[in-house]
Amino acid sequence: MSISDRFAELAHLRDALGAEEADPTRIVMEKILSPTEAMIAGRPTILVGTNNYLGLTFDPTVLAAASAALHEQGSGTTGSRMANGSFACHAALERSFADFYGVPSAMVFSTGYQTNLGLLMGILRPGDKVVLDSHSHACIYDGCRISGADFLAFRHNDPEDLRKRLRRLGDDAKGALVITEGLYSMLGDTAPLAELCAIAKEYGAWFMVDEAHSFGVYGERGLGLCEEAGILDQVDFITGTFSKSLASLGGFCVSRHPELQLLRYGSRPYIFTASPSPASIGAAAAALEAIRTRPELKANLWANATRLHDGLSAAGYELAAPVSPVIAVRVPSREEGARIWNALMEHGVYVNLVLPPAAPEGAALLRCSLSAAHSFDQIDAIIAAFKTVAPEVATGGAQSTAAQ
Amino acid sequence: MSHDTQDLEQEILDVLFERLSKFPVKSGTLTADTSLVADMSLDSVNMMELLMEVEDTFDVSFPLNMMANVDTVQNLADQIKLLVEKKS
Repeated sequence: MSISDRFAELAHLRDALGAEEADPTRIVMEKILSPTEAMIAGRPTILVGTNNYLGLTFDPTVLAAASAALHEQGSGTTGSRMANGSFACHAALERSFADFYGVPSAMVFSTGYQTNLGLLMGILRPGDKVVLDSHSHACIYDGCRISGADFLAFRHNDPEDLRKRLRRLGDDAKGALVITEGLYSMLGDTAPLAELCAIAKEYGAWFMVDEAHSFGVYGERGLGLCEEAGILDQVDFITGTFSKSLASLGGFCVSRHPELQLLRYGSRPYIFTASPSPASIGAAAAALEAIRTRPELKANLWANATRLHDGLSAAGYELAAPVSPVIAVRVPSREEGARIWNALMEHGVYVNLVLPPAAPEGAALLRCSLSAAHSFDQIDAIIAAFKTVAPEVATGGAQSTAAQ
Repeated sequence: MSHDTQDLEQEILDVLFERLSKFPVKSGTLTADTSLVADMSLDSVNMMELLMEVEDTFDVSFPLNMMANVDTVQNLADQIKLLVEKKS
């Protein structure tokens, strides 16, 4: 394929989304009013597709920490930690993560994407074996692909399917890497971590969990689903991002193995990129402190998630999973997904429109992600908008066409 | 021996034709020379589903990275055959 062929292919993709009025690139937040509201197309819009789970992007302590770091340390680090050296704030935040998890090792990376890329490219070599959940995020697939390892998918959230695939690997299962996520970002379902971890350990495999969407949201202390599943002493690598509950930009990896630190000498996405900016580190550090000390944030988030899940269920919508901070509404076709998505925008509600292949096991998803900063009034307005844009759903699917 | 090999190859092709029959082909006809991406537009999820089914049918491990060497249905059958023969 030539570059001009590739451009033609991409233009075709864009035009198809444009024809369906389903192009997410046209959404521009003209003014950010709060963690849960922005002006879009001149209209105040409730944001329920931002992954701003704890609503900390405008929190006074987070803004103050980011602002202080910006003024005291400058606007950028202008290079990598290997070349330019670390700022004290990088090392301090790594210590905070290690302390929070009670482990010897933590590393920070410049984005969430680079965190998984950096870990996987750092620890895997060609010929190594990886078995990953089929719904894994693109950065997990990309990290495996670039590393040159042999990687196989197991059926989503299916422990017995994982067992079958490890058994087929024979002697190679020992020392293989099993990868899963905590909360899955598209369907809003959670992994059976205790069972998956037990099977990985039974075969002598390493176990890695990406808590990008579950850190700060699950577990008594907010450590994520590994805490909730009681496997913190067994999981080998936990990764997460700063760009969701931590209200910033960057990512982290923690491990019970001191050797994780060795990746500083051999992980290209860590070595060959600028280190996170002081403001990003300052915001993440303050948000981490908020997770440690303000459990009411998590309680508010769950109350909001439960209210939206109950409201949409009662309105007749088909939801992809039990209540979680991600609530995905299943829609039977791409066209209907795009129609409802646009109608919600006109009613001042922004959700994520997810089309295949990003939408697994279905034609389309209208994905809502809740925030601790949503008010019950906003949740009720979101439910009301959903009821207005699809009255046929609320009155029962069978009457859908007649009801129009 | 070559007869067995041919039988195995045909068995694999039959399984692939059956699994792929639900996808449209640009030229209209699915053959061993059909390109999975150029002629059938299989996306990454379709491809992964196909591989998981193939793994279960033939009880082999087919790493996703091996797809880098696969263009046509015949290429895929050849790779699966190598894995099955290696196993026995």
